[in-house]
Amino acid sequence: MTKDKNIAPEFGVDSRYTSKKEYQSEATALMEARLQRMKGVSKDDIIRAKLLQLKLQMQEFIKQTTHQKKHYFSEFLQQYIDSIYSKRAVFAKDIGITPVQLSQIINNHRAPQDDFMLKLMIHSEMIYKNVCTFQKELWYQVYFHEKLCNTMATQQEWQSKLEKDVVVSEPILKYGKK
Amino acid sequence: MIIIEKATGNSHPIEIVPVEITDYKHLTKKRYFFHWKDEKKFEVYKLRIINSTDILGLISLERIPNEWRVHIRLLTVSVENKGTHKTFDNIAGNLITFAAKIAILEYAEMACVSLRPKTEIAKHYIEKYQMTATGITLSIEMPEILHLINRFDHD
Repeated sequence: MTKDKNIAPEFGVDSRYTSKKEYQSEATALMEARLQRMKGVSKDDIIRAKLLQLKLQMQEFIKQTTHQKKHYFSEFLQQYIDSIYSKRAVFAKDIGITPVQLSQIINNHRAPQDDFMLKLMIHSEMIYKNVCTFQKELWYQVYFHEKLCNTMATQQEWQSKLEKDVVVSEPILKYGKK
Repeated sequence: MIIIEKATGNSHPIEIVPVEITDYKHLTKKRYFFHWKDEKKFEVYKLRIINSTDILGLISLERIPNEWRVHIRLLTVSVENKGTHKTFDNIAGNLITFAAKIAILEYAEMACVSLRPKTEIAKHYIEKYQMTATGITLSIEMPEILHLINRFDHD
């Protein structure tokens, strides 16, 4: 008992494996036990895990500073819908758009309009209420961050094309340091 | 994510960010209980209050993709945050939650965080974080991992 009293459980843990053999035997036992426990995980919990993963992926994306030309918004949207619905058309109906309009947004043939974004924010607020905290503006942040990333990733293409159309007619010294 | 100042009950927003190479000279065994320099080749993160440089906790992780698992190799709080007279509460909880978020981010419903505390303190981790014991390994998976994240993470 005296020993227990003196232990401060949270000063730290050293969990490093001392040998490959030790790791192997513990990893095998843990995996067997986990596979048994996984059988008891409900369908709802699987959906919750997928939605939490999506939120974390979106949060990671808006922190990224490197610029890659990729359709993140539509990929996240697809992931969101497919985590919850077995048919995308049902989601389209739930937010009052046609399946064709949804398909065009997902396949990047049409930019999402404000109305769509606002409905998506309301929908995800309803869904995430039972999962985890969710800042509904995250959808807009992803959308605009993607735009920014794509703009900067293609800078060489547009800059040389547009530069000739841009002039500064005011004397530059007016704004410079004295 | 926040930690609580025990004396005042005030909460402080924290961040958990990668340890920089220049940090290691300050990570002494006297203040952080372990030889953190030994972990240089692993993923090591530090916990600090936002806008402060003082490191209050550390975690070293190993991602094991073929097991959908994040293993906590080493975890510590700074010496003044140990025991009943600690300055801040929830440092270890936030560090474990950080590992849980990485596991969910990587492996979704298959996510697992594991650690191997000494037998004497295993009970504490089981009770406080709803971990499950398999031999000497403790782990947290779905759905408890989700409860843990919701308890400590409000971002």
